[in-house]
Amino acid sequence: MAINKIGVLALTGALAAAVFTGCSSNNSDNSSASSPPAPGQSVAPKSEEVVDLEVWNGNNGFKPITKDSPLYNFYKEKLGVGVIQPYVEWNGGTNYLNQLNIKIAANEMPDLFLPLQGIEDNLAKNGAIADLTDLLPKYAPNVMQAIPQEVWDVVKANDPTGQGKIYYIPSVLNYGRETGLIRKDWLDKLGLEMPKTQDDYVKVLEAFRDKDPNGNGIKDEIPTGGREQAAWMDQLFAMYGVAMVEGKPDWDIYDGKLTYSAVTPNMKAALEFAAKLYKEGLMDKESLLNNKAKWEGKIDSNLVGNYFHWEESVNERLENINKNKGVKGDYSVLPILEVPGYKGFYTLKKMQTPAWVVKNTKDQTKLMATLKLLNNMYDKNNWNDLYLGVEGMHYTMQDGKATKLPDDKSTQQNLALSPYLNVATADFSINLYKNNTPDDRKWAVDQGIRNITDAQPYFKDIAGDGMPASVYEDYADINNRTLYVEYASKIILGQYPISKFDEFVDKWNKSGGEEVTQRARDWYAKVHK
Amino acid sequence: MLKTRGEKTFVAAITTLLLLFSFIAIVPLLSVISISFSSKSAVVQNLVSIWPKQFTLDSWSYILDRPDLWKSFFLTLGSTVIGTALALLITALLAYPLSKVEFRWGGVIMVGVVIAMIFKAPIIPYFLTVRGIGLYNNPLVLILPHILNPFNLIIMRSFFKEFPKELEEAAFLEGSGYFRMLFQFVLPLSKAVLATLALFYAVVIWNQFQTPLLFLQNTDWFPLQMKIRQFITDDNIIMPGAASTVDLNYNERTLRSATVIFAMIPIIAVYPFLQRYFVKGAMIGSIKG
Repeated sequence: MAINKIGVLALTGALAAAVFTGCSSNNSDNSSASSPPAPGQSVAPKSEEVVDLEVWNGNNGFKPITKDSPLYNFYKEKLGVGVIQPYVEWNGGTNYLNQLNIKIAANEMPDLFLPLQGIEDNLAKNGAIADLTDLLPKYAPNVMQAIPQEVWDVVKANDPTGQGKIYYIPSVLNYGRETGLIRKDWLDKLGLEMPKTQDDYVKVLEAFRDKDPNGNGIKDEIPTGGREQAAWMDQLFAMYGVAMVEGKPDWDIYDGKLTYSAVTPNMKAALEFAAKLYKEGLMDKESLLNNKAKWEGKIDSNLVGNYFHWEESVNERLENINKNKGVKGDYSVLPILEVPGYKGFYTLKKMQTPAWVVKNTKDQTKLMATLKLLNNMYDKNNWNDLYLGVEGMHYTMQDGKATKLPDDKSTQQNLALSPYLNVATADFSINLYKNNTPDDRKWAVDQGIRNITDAQPYFKDIAGDGMPASVYEDYADINNRTLYVEYASKIILGQYPISKFDEFVDKWNKSGGEEVTQRARDWYAKVHK
Repeated sequence: MLKTRGEKTFVAAITTLLLLFSFIAIVPLLSVISISFSSKSAVVQNLVSIWPKQFTLDSWSYILDRPDLWKSFFLTLGSTVIGTALALLITALLAYPLSKVEFRWGGVIMVGVVIAMIFKAPIIPYFLTVRGIGLYNNPLVLILPHILNPFNLIIMRSFFKEFPKELEEAAFLEGSGYFRMLFQFVLPLSKAVLATLALFYAVVIWNQFQTPLLFLQNTDWFPLQMKIRQFITDDNIIMPGAASTVDLNYNERTLRSATVIFAMIPIIAVYPFLQRYFVKGAMIGSIKG
């Protein structure tokens, strides 16, 4: 009987598969500590056995770190600890958080991991993550040193148990990284100066629109623009002193009090200005529809005069423009424009989200190994090596110079430990660019180096820096800025008159904004007492 | 034959409308196909709409050269075939006794089935249970959780219930037992319902995403859908001094498109042959369920 045969076949197949996996799942434990640490490695004590730790942070499609794989061996040699990282996809953080939550619920918390969306608060309250207040200075002094004291003060103020303890290691950004960028070569071509005031800026945008700076004979230039959810157009808001990170309004002192920048008169004025630009065709008509790929595509097509992004990675756009259109452009830093009555700035948040928390465990070997890993990872002497990764996989040697290979998800393992991203300093970034760039790319990469220096005077560390996500608890819509995006988008598009802004402020306050503001101010008072 | 002018207009209108709909349905697909055959430069500049621009096979050769994608493909194909066969067997083995009035515990078991259909297990208990059985990070998880679906079981049970009693009585007189009855008489005469359910099961296993997402961490065992997402997941972290990708003639978007098409081809290939069973299957469920 046909069905009968299929059934038998199926059962056999299942059995075969079971036998196969039974064999393959056991081979991971029998080869530990087989390769001795390389001689001359001071960080890796030779006598002790290497402890394996499970370390979780995001992965964007690269290969996992399995026992005895090249990256595992590299970390073991450099840092003296075995690092195992299963494949946990980042996917905007949602998937990562889901998997992490399940893992925690199953009582299998990773030894060291990146917490997300404030889960560290509850974990700390429940005693699930380690109190690092005494452990870090004693066993991981490099971590204490790499992060400025004022940041530690905020971490202590953020302790959810209210005892002023350190429960997480924050990421820190020591320099301003995101600014407005403008095609300096277009300005030169049209005989214009770098704009200083808002009026200059509007004139420049008009010239970009009308005078064909890309020289293709078509009026296809996009003077400025941004992306969906009214994001990535911070240059238009910065001049009004609106605290904002990649389009997300943030907290700063307005009128003497810590306030959400979206509900300030500054925001109202900025939206009015953006709406004016939109109406006059100075802003991309699709600004509120562009996704990342689409907006970058326009920039890469040699069409965009001014955009907002990382000042240091303009080379990505410039190299693409050169490839697509054969033009070697110049994206320079757009200064903060003077607007009467306002004090503008580009937003800097030194204290980023938490980078690591440590599992609270009775197993002293594991705990000590985790601290050792942290200590060696935050040792600046190791950073360049950690950045380069494994030779042949992540970089190659060209004429005695290490050159990073392009990302390749089918061959490269996830470079999970990147302290230079968690404690980013301008010097380190500049050095990376200088040391890892082949000559033929210098024209573009050097612009990024120049921009880092040029941009710094325009940054301000905002008062809301370091505020924990827990102030938004129970008010997810406020955290997701749902209402703001709706009103901002409609005002920019001209569907709402600017007078609607007051309605937005009112609604925002009533839908939880008041409560969140109160919590934010309480937090601020606690940090600055 | 069409008689009146009214009828002719009616048919013409319907045809136009349907053509329009199929056009609308096919445009996004065409766009994805053409992106997969276009150069990076054209795609980056948003030049590609329905036809490929700067035709190239680079994305495809990159995709087809990846052994891990093929591995996932065959893994998914294998688990679909084995899983479907197993699912049909198990479902039939439970549906048959449940369709018999003389089976004393049938009522109780049926209530259990309905409860399982209505109340899905919450994610964490489900996770703990499946892990407790030893299916965590075990490729069998691609098959075992799918082999009995209460809804499909009810469809099959209803079908068996309609089976002519006389035929079975005759068989029993011949000295046949229930097992022989099921495998020698009932199943061979149930091809319609088997084909329908096979399709239901196969589609679920082929497209499965949530289960492997929860239970598989070893990338070696990733089924196709997970592998695809691994391909298309976006890098939002910008690495300082990252290597230049300017010289590559593909990027994430072209690779993504090629991968999506790659995963669709098998389904598209078999669908026309099996589509009619889908319709039939829905009928079985609705009339007799």
